[in-house]
Amino acid sequence: MGTVTYPNEGVARFIDLNFIPVQIEISNQEMVQRYNVSWTPTILVLDADGKEHYRVVGFLQPDVFIATFEVGKGRYYLDQEQFAEARALFEEVIDRCPAPEVVPEAIFFRGVAAYKQTHDPKHLRAAYDTLTSKYSQTEWAKRAEPYKLIPA
Amino acid sequence: MAMQVCWLDNLAKAQETARKTHKPILLDFFNPQ
Repeated sequence: MGTVTYPNEGVARFIDLNFIPVQIEISNQEMVQRYNVSWTPTILVLDADGKEHYRVVGFLQPDVFIATFEVGKGRYYLDQEQFAEARALFEEVIDRCPAPEVVPEAIFFRGVAAYKQTHDPKHLRAAYDTLTSKYSQTEWAKRAEPYKLIPA
Repeated sequence: MAMQVCWLDNLAKAQETARKTHKPILLDFFNPQ
């Protein structure tokens, strides 16, 4: 990450605009135990109280990093019940499609955020329909399986 | 000059800044070796 992804100007700009960035060495036992970390890179999205909202383990290329942590920030907004902000981030990942491997997760959580904002289950069914038609082999299509019981 | 990530090395400081800016924290555990 330190030689490819973080030096990338687009990544640096994205992090600066969207996050307060902190780097902690894996030798910091107090922090490693606090967040139950066992491998590097492990990258977390936290709120101001230090509570975890999203986690990725392993290397990410720059484009995938940006899309992944757009979803990560969306998950943070979702947990904060800022549903409109969450939906906007998931929509951006889906529409811009900078990293196709991240899109199914964004579709799943767009459905969740829209449902939590409107209480209309059709958004969950729409997520299921999109995932099974376009991304049927992904874990996110499987996770959306129960939503097929919701009337279209 | 290319833009670089300005990493903090202290979570408490980041939490203080996160409260003021309403931004989430990106916490990267790394191996410097």
